[in-house]
Amino acid sequence: MATIDLQNIRKSYGKNQVIHGVDASIADGELIVIVGPSGCGKSTLLRMVAGLEEVTEGELRIDGRRVNDEEPKDRDIAMVFQTYALYPHMSVFDNMAYGLKIMRLPKAEIRSRVEEAARMLSLSELLDRKPKALSGGQRQRVAMGRAIVRQPSVFLFDEPLSNLDALLRVQMRLEIKQLQRRLGVTSLYVTHDQVEAMTLADRLIVMNGGVADQVDEAMKVYERPATRFVASFIGSPGMNFLNKVPIASLPPNLDLPELAEQAQARQTIDLGIRPENLALCDPGEAQLTLRVLTVETLGADTLVHGHSELVQGHPEPMALRLVGTHRFEENSTLPLKADASHWHVFDCETGDRLN
Amino acid sequence: MLFAAIAMQKKVYFRGTWLPWLLVAPQLIITGVFFMWPAVQAVMQSTQLPDPFGLSSQYVGMENFQFLLNDSTYLESFATTALFSVSVTLMAMVPALFFAVLADSVIKGSGLYRTFLIWPYAVAPAIAGIVWLFMFNPSIGVASYYLKFLGVKWNHVLDGDQAMLLVVLAAAWKQVSYNFLFFLAGLQAIPKSLIEAATIDGASPWHRFRTITLPLLSPTTFFLLVVNIIYAFFDTFGVIHTITLGGPERDTSILVYKVFADGFVGQDLGSSAAQSVILMVLVGALTVVQFRYIEKKVHY
Repeated sequence: MATIDLQNIRKSYGKNQVIHGVDASIADGELIVIVGPSGCGKSTLLRMVAGLEEVTEGELRIDGRRVNDEEPKDRDIAMVFQTYALYPHMSVFDNMAYGLKIMRLPKAEIRSRVEEAARMLSLSELLDRKPKALSGGQRQRVAMGRAIVRQPSVFLFDEPLSNLDALLRVQMRLEIKQLQRRLGVTSLYVTHDQVEAMTLADRLIVMNGGVADQVDEAMKVYERPATRFVASFIGSPGMNFLNKVPIASLPPNLDLPELAEQAQARQTIDLGIRPENLALCDPGEAQLTLRVLTVETLGADTLVHGHSELVQGHPEPMALRLVGTHRFEENSTLPLKADASHWHVFDCETGDRLN
Repeated sequence: MLFAAIAMQKKVYFRGTWLPWLLVAPQLIITGVFFMWPAVQAVMQSTQLPDPFGLSSQYVGMENFQFLLNDSTYLESFATTALFSVSVTLMAMVPALFFAVLADSVIKGSGLYRTFLIWPYAVAPAIAGIVWLFMFNPSIGVASYYLKFLGVKWNHVLDGDQAMLLVVLAAAWKQVSYNFLFFLAGLQAIPKSLIEAATIDGASPWHRFRTITLPLLSPTTFFLLVVNIIYAFFDTFGVIHTITLGGPERDTSILVYKVFADGFVGQDLGSSAAQSVILMVLVGALTVVQFRYIEKKVHY
């Protein structure tokens, strides 16, 4: 069991800085998901915690102990790789036992630990097989098993599900979550998939271009994204944005949430609204209208894509999500409104949240 | 249209028969002239005993072979060849693997490093032989001059063991490049994540090399093993011919050199032909082992 502390972690390759100072502290037993688009530095951050990449600057502590210069094996961690990295010439048993043999545990202990993990992951029947005789999902379990048997104080997951098909991914996601709860091991999990991130995480670290834009609980990140980037990255379909809206020309019936003091001087703002926070209303009380282009019916809900004009001559693409099944004519115009509390206000230049 | 390629199929169908024959003819001619014909010739000649002037020859059946297998110099040559090929193979493969592991971890200037390591392969065997001969010439060689300071009296012209050591070095030196290339390619084909996983599992660099890298290199290693043995058996002729001429006495006279020495120097064409037939069988067996073994055992 352990805590992880990242203090102003930076990484440079030569003169090229790729991670610009990340701070986060992870509590014992927490499952933290690092999420972001490719190239945002999330894997590099994880590999630094693992000890596979050197930390250029900053303090990395596991359980209060500074581990910047420690070898991976001394950090008491286990890692699950995206490609699983199973040793192809060894049986499932030997794959799982590899690290235990290096720890020089007694044979009986190794056997019981591997069998215990195999039972947990329903791999008991497959212990004699070589990795190439396993399906993708089974290989993934072996990779998990290899991490579990070592009984480390930290689990590191590097996009462990991205090589699986969609159905299996959902199933394994659940299993990982349940396993992590059961074992109570502090975990860092990297993914580019925001749905995976939302469903797994106790807390999220949303990375953008080598910076942690927001570190918070999943629902808080969803409801109060700290930057425009976070707002656009988390949630599917993504948040609607109305760019560079002059405050003076806002419709009179659109109440904005209270803005932070420094925001009130601004002339223009970026407005964001999630597709499910918009509601159909009477034409008289509409804050904005949506011209329908396409309608996607998914059964449980309906997605309407089109253009809206909040300010005259300033159309923006917009999506609307309605519960249940609805039918709309193409090119029809829908009157919409939203609660004041659902509007997100961002700075046009920096993208920082203003309300 | 000379041929009609049927749409949506990879196979090409020819209407006539002369074009396909024409297309494979160069390969067939080369194989026929430079392999089949000499091989048949060798088998025929191995059953003949020419008269001392080479004007006529008589059929003697298997006598050439019987004579060879009872000839102590031939059996000695077998032992010499065994020692020579095992040494060359080891000396060519172990350093090559070592260099490949180093080259695999070099990031800056790797191109230069690799080029230098590959260079010896471009040197013709006879020229390589001459270079080593000059270096180790007992009276004027640079290497023998410095060896004298170390208290080593170098004279491979008289000392059979030294002569063997020298031809082994020269032959192996040339082959290191080839092995290096294959080992490097083999190493680069091993996913980095496997090594990283082993690192996190707590394996030391040596333990990782022994338990992960080496087993995953085994197909490459086995392939090179066979190639190197065949190289030592045959392609080292030039090296031996330039450095020692098979001597002193017959101490470096490996089988392939003896074929030449007996046939073209000793003018005993029947025995020489019988020897090459035995060599052909040996190589055939090696090749069979290679394919059998590679298909079955060295897979993981």
